[in-house]
Amino acid sequence: MAGLTASRYGLLALGGVGLLAGLTGALVLLGMPMPAPARDLGADHGVLMTLGFLGTLISLERAVALGRGWGYLAPLLTGAGGIALIAGAPAVLPLTLFTGGAAAFVAMYVAFDRIERSLHTSVQAVGALAWLGAAFLLLGGRAPAEVVPWLAAFLVLTIAGERLELSRLARLTNRARIGFVAGAGIFCIGVAMSVASADMGMRVAGIGLVALAVWLARNDVARRTVRMEGMPRFVALSLLSGYAWLAVGGACWLLFGATPGGPAYDAMLHAIFLGFVMSMVFGHAPIILPAVLGTPLPYRPRFYLHLALLHVGLLLRTGAGDLLGFEVAWRAGGILNVAALLLFAASSAVAIALERRASLRAVPAPSS
Amino acid sequence: MADERMDVAALLGRPVAEDDLLDRLHAVIDPELGVNIVDLGLVYGAEVIDGVARVRVTTTTPACPLGSYMTGEIRRALFDVDSVLDVQVEVTYEPRWSVDRMTDTAKAQLGWPV
Repeated sequence: MAGLTASRYGLLALGGVGLLAGLTGALVLLGMPMPAPARDLGADHGVLMTLGFLGTLISLERAVALGRGWGYLAPLLTGAGGIALIAGAPAVLPLTLFTGGAAAFVAMYVAFDRIERSLHTSVQAVGALAWLGAAFLLLGGRAPAEVVPWLAAFLVLTIAGERLELSRLARLTNRARIGFVAGAGIFCIGVAMSVASADMGMRVAGIGLVALAVWLARNDVARRTVRMEGMPRFVALSLLSGYAWLAVGGACWLLFGATPGGPAYDAMLHAIFLGFVMSMVFGHAPIILPAVLGTPLPYRPRFYLHLALLHVGLLLRTGAGDLLGFEVAWRAGGILNVAALLLFAASSAVAIALERRASLRAVPAPSS
Repeated sequence: MADERMDVAALLGRPVAEDDLLDRLHAVIDPELGVNIVDLGLVYGAEVIDGVARVRVTTTTPACPLGSYMTGEIRRALFDVDSVLDVQVEVTYEPRWSVDRMTDTAKAQLGWPV
């Protein structure tokens, strides 16, 4: 039991290294003066954040749920891919590791499907396949910017599938299920189209993203739990604020299509990957980390601090920066985003360390 | 021999009924939903045999990692019950959970018209 928990800590640490390296890359892209060895991380920022950090974290969460040893191959290979990328290994090595991690992640959904076949698991499985598709495209020589729709599909469908599952507790109707499938279907068609026509594919995918955002805002159980107090309210506010960014991001995809670089590209990416995805991560970390690490993490009002910092930073970055053209605001907003993620990581690590010490004193260890 | 039996009986105390365990398990709250696991219908059974509390639980989906979290919380809820010497938690997906397992209390908390 202790060995298993230690292994999970180790795998989480691999994701943590991916996060720190990804944030260093973010500071490079924001034009901050950085020492020479760190400058290369700018080019790897997107892959480090989406796969090195989030891929490791999400696949670890699934491996814990599945409870079979081989499931841990997914976070191990993905985390190792992040380390190989940071170490400057030939590109084929980290990309092969990411592909292996994706394959193990897909295999976990096959196992889940055997336990319970359901729409929500299938949606998440398509998200896992999108990660695998992204990994193959990168291995085939595509630039990370060309693979953005696939990486977005991995994260959006994983999260949306989870929320679809929990929306059952808010009295989901068959009509609502059909609405979800329509939105997710349009999004998937757009992502698939992006391989042949990036511009058209991203515009179609943008329609799907907006539809999914509206669906989630209307049907998620968070609409009910936001009226509660403490942890349920914090989680709900994280989710609902994330759906607003998903809608903004989807609208940008629809309006701008495939825009190589520039303010529109910055807004398109970060509304989805920061505003939507990181809101979900912040909201669920106090629930998932205890499950993964076996340590309780009671709600603290200070959780709102990094959530607020994320949204304020992103508003400054995309609104005053990308939209109105104030470079200072864009940079300041970006730095606030980095600060939000660092604060989140530090706050979670400290809270877990304190709770672990307290719980080890209070409760006897399991007998088996 | 008779003395030994008396010692064991004293150690175990009065028998613990399933209802007593379920009462305690009302303290285990799903952290996101703010509703306890009994009213959510996640507890499939609870009994004490020879001082060991055995609890069968599920999660709303097998892809949810909260099984291990619930195991820890259930141990915390039951470890100080009189005559419970150990707690064993089994996470099962047979039968599958559905919203029909939720009590009216849980449904009301989540905004259902009940």
